[in-house]
Amino acid sequence: MVHARRGSIGRYYDINGWLFVAPVLGLIGLFMIYPIVWSLWMSFQSGRGMMMKFAGFANIVRLWNDPVFIKALTNTMTYFVVQVPIMIVLALILASMLNNPRIIGRGLFRTAIFLPCVTSLVAYSVLFKGMFAPDGVVNSTLAAIGVISSPIPWLTHPFWAKVLVIIAITWRWTGYNMIFYLAALQNIDRSIYEVARIDGVPAWARFIHITIPLLKPVILFTTVISTIGTLQLFDEVYNLTEGRGGPSNATLTLSLYIYNLTFRFMPNFGYAATVSYVIVVLVALLAFLQFFAARERDK
Amino acid sequence: MDNLARAYLPRIAGLALASVSFLAVTAAEAKEITIWCWDPNFNVAIMKEAGARYTKTHPDVTFNVVDFAKSDVEQKLQTGLASGTADALPDIVLIEDYGAQKYLQSFPGAFAPLSGTVDYSGFAPYKVEVMTIDGQVYGMPFDSGVTGLYYRKDYLEQAGFKPEDMQNLTWDRFIEIGQQVEEKTGKKMMGLDPNDAGLVRIIMQSAGQWYFDKDGKTNVTGNPALKAALDTVGKIMSANIYKPAAGWSDWVGTFTSGDVAAVVTGVWITGTVKAQPDQAGKWGVAPIPKLSIDGATHASNLGGSSWYVLESSAEKAEAIDFLNEIYGKDIDFYQTILLERGAVGSLLAARGGAAYEQADPFFGGEKVWQNFSDWLAKVPSVNYGIFTNEADTAVTAQLPALTQGTPVDDVLKAIDAEVSAQIQ
Repeated sequence: MVHARRGSIGRYYDINGWLFVAPVLGLIGLFMIYPIVWSLWMSFQSGRGMMMKFAGFANIVRLWNDPVFIKALTNTMTYFVVQVPIMIVLALILASMLNNPRIIGRGLFRTAIFLPCVTSLVAYSVLFKGMFAPDGVVNSTLAAIGVISSPIPWLTHPFWAKVLVIIAITWRWTGYNMIFYLAALQNIDRSIYEVARIDGVPAWARFIHITIPLLKPVILFTTVISTIGTLQLFDEVYNLTEGRGGPSNATLTLSLYIYNLTFRFMPNFGYAATVSYVIVVLVALLAFLQFFAARERDK
Repeated sequence: MDNLARAYLPRIAGLALASVSFLAVTAAEAKEITIWCWDPNFNVAIMKEAGARYTKTHPDVTFNVVDFAKSDVEQKLQTGLASGTADALPDIVLIEDYGAQKYLQSFPGAFAPLSGTVDYSGFAPYKVEVMTIDGQVYGMPFDSGVTGLYYRKDYLEQAGFKPEDMQNLTWDRFIEIGQQVEEKTGKKMMGLDPNDAGLVRIIMQSAGQWYFDKDGKTNVTGNPALKAALDTVGKIMSANIYKPAAGWSDWVGTFTSGDVAAVVTGVWITGTVKAQPDQAGKWGVAPIPKLSIDGATHASNLGGSSWYVLESSAEKAEAIDFLNEIYGKDIDFYQTILLERGAVGSLLAARGGAAYEQADPFFGGEKVWQNFSDWLAKVPSVNYGIFTNEADTAVTAQLPALTQGTPVDDVLKAIDAEVSAQIQ
């Protein structure tokens, strides 16, 4: 008797619980699961515009033979390999510097470094384009202090265009990562540093042996977030190069290529979906690698 | 307060209802046709002129001409068509001839066929051809992009060249002149955007070739005109007679600011050139330079576009009637847009008008329109195919290699590889 009653109460709560989550589940299903499954299905189709046909693995074969895709993939990986470490290290250094209570006006510095992150992507890209023009403020400053004799072709040379994109995204996202580190630094017990200081541990060693290990979970988090962000890089390149990824496809990213395949070229939604799944696979692989590299070894 | 609200509420509601029904009645009578196009000095201004003419005879139809950048029009249109929801789309849209077949083939049923309404025999055949699929014709042919060499008489005079010296040039001679102009005046000969293959297309078409042959097959490695065009652009770059530009507005700025001595482009730029009143009388127009290969001419085409009516449009009937009334029949309209905007339309009947005979004081009294009209008849016709955007991207990707001294044949091979992978 008691047993049976408990069962019916259990079921009563079960139904109530499901009813509560049902709207959310429905929305997730409609706006997340359905598009994901549909785009996966689309990646096996090919054709012009709305005239799509099932194509099996033809799109995947096409990836291998597509020099533009290879170029976009190489560029994206270059951004990732060069930019993410620079930004993470820079953010770490800035965070530990601005965590020092003896710095006057550190609130001001923190705000100043974080500010780029709240500016509009389009606005800052346009601004960068002007600043790095052949006769822009950057070239004229460099020339005035005697670093260069002729202006650097920031926007028209394949190498410098890549450098410019890396400068742009580093400028914008370093402050964002720094905020995470600053928050995590507040949680490190000051007494640990005091003990180290009393023991005569120099500042750089305190940074490497105390700060970095204690920030490891946050560093992992920001690395994964930055990896995803870099692999999906689109806005900066689109605005700096008028959507072309030029010069010579040197700044073309995978996301920009997907955009071109869908909206600029003869629309091939199937192939574009395949390229977007390349990003999904890459992000998953890299995130897994990063978790693997940062796992707790002494357990 | 509460009482007051209660007392007034019915009246307010009644008023609101009345105004709603009033609005509904006017909405049923007044039709607004929304049009997307680019270039405020050209297409937008011309469409406003056309709209004003139509509203005079049809007071119930008004026009909303929306001005975007060209790439934004194309991308918004493609997004709207792909999403399948017609709400966001305009009633009439401007499409460049290079892209027309792409839209017509990718989105069947998206555009209204005008075959029954418009008399296409009165238009330049090459314009009608790009908008035809399976015997149905889908658009209203608009302007031609016949090309010319616009040059600053004052700069060239300083360098010792008379207008006669600018006629019947070859590209090699053009580059020589450019070097002397820079020597004498310090001005570059032309603006060039290394990410825009427009100049390559102009030179290639002037010799009767395109990225694709008549059957739409890729025509890159064995294409003498494309090879010569790349060669020429490479020479212009290595002779350093150009001012580099990043993007369209930057490129326009090279000549509106007076920094360069010449512009090689389509006739539709005239409106922008003439938008600088302080440069009046300083410009001249000559035929574009010629290649030294078989089939080369002094005439080519760049861009040019046509109007298309969306099948899903609520004002489809009015939109079609409007295009047919103004762009299909109104000769006086074509004379006006020619004189005011430099629009060389493709309605053949409009070619004989008095406007073509007029001398333009901005160009020092030259009969520029007659010239453009003559050159138009000589433009070699080519098949634009449906992958011009892809081929163009491949060409711009290889332009830097060209300046670094890579042999043209290797560059052609690289372009061919990229195009072949793109056009599946």
